Amino acid sequence: MDYGIEVRDQEAVVCLRGRLTFNDHGKLRTLIGEMGQNRARRQVLDLSSLEFVDSAGIGMLLIAREEMANADKQLILRAAGGQVKRVLTVAQIAKIVPIED
Amino acid sequence: MSDGATLQPGLRTHFAGVHGPSLPDGGLPRLARALGLPPAGPEAGGGPLALLLAGPAGADADALWQPPFAAWVEVVPCRDAAEDPGPSLRSLMDAAAAADLYVNVTTATAHDLHLGARLLTALTARCPLAGERRGDVELALHEAISNALVHGNLGVSGMKELSAAELDRFSRDLETRLADPVLAARRIAIAVRLEVGGDGQRAASVDIADEGAGFAPDRGHHHDPRPGSGASGRGLDLIGSIADGLEIADGGRRIRLRFHL
Repeated sequence: MDYGIEVRDQEAVVCLRGRLTFNDHGKLRTLIGEMGQNRARRQVLDLSSLEFVDSAGIGMLLIAREEMANADKQLILRAAGGQVKRVLTVAQIAKIVPIED
Repeated sequence: MSDGATLQPGLRTHFAGVHGPSLPDGGLPRLARALGLPPAGPEAGGGPLALLLAGPAGADADALWQPPFAAWVEVVPCRDAAEDPGPSLRSLMDAAAAADLYVNVTTATAHDLHLGARLLTALTARCPLAGERRGDVELALHEAISNALVHGNLGVSGMKELSAAELDRFSRDLETRLADPVLAARRIAIAVRLEVGGDGQRAASVDIADEGAGFAPDRGHHHDPRPGSGASGRGLDLIGSIADGLEIADGGRRIRLRFHL
């Protein structure tokens, strides 16, 4: 998995690319740190270029959501498609994290 | 499924040869001779081949996970002086012959190869899967293999609390244990059997075994998605939502999945 961050006035948009699996623990840890430090209150994860996510990837997204809440920020998932969208649905993640189209 | 008419009972794959481009110099001819199989390249065109690996190196090309390859077996090093490949390689090849597709590699190699995606390549080369079903079957295979590697062979527990500290703990445990040569050498064995039912329905049975401490499956458990209910624990539920059959055996060291194809 790779990512890029664009910090705008109101929100930071993080574009995740590739496959997000248990193996990406180190990158997710770094990303959570970067999202905590930038100035935007809304942290949007753009999932449109994410091809695959596993259960550990979902768990790491929930950790990111919790860490943002602790920093008084909001995590939003945006534009998931394909396998990623189906897994988010099956795992009922919309009950925990706002999901935008 | 190959060559069924000429196989002995219980045998499903009659190997035509072994391939091993990444084995140390002289390794392939010696192992091939001891197994009674000719060294062969993928261009040979003479039936199923077993790929003998010496680690993840050289096994990441997609072509090596497609026909004629039907088995992927990691060779334990340190036998270079012996003529005999030892009972272990012979018994692994017997297990491979009893399956349609067979993988037996170390935890370190399975981890580096992203084995779930490789197995999907091998499976879909035999039984093409369309769009959504392909992604779903890949997820189920990936989850089952990840469980065997991370929680089974490496004994790393899942992320429980929703905190960066818990993510750090998971990272640290995973890296420490992958660096432990004993744990990294534990095996994962995968046997796939392809079947056609009486109604013509094709199915794959996928048996995944690890060498860890096992676990007690929490039957009837469904993951509670509320915050605070933990970052892990969704894997088996996801597998169960995709596979058409799910059995856990051998104290949690073996999972058998069944997919209609």
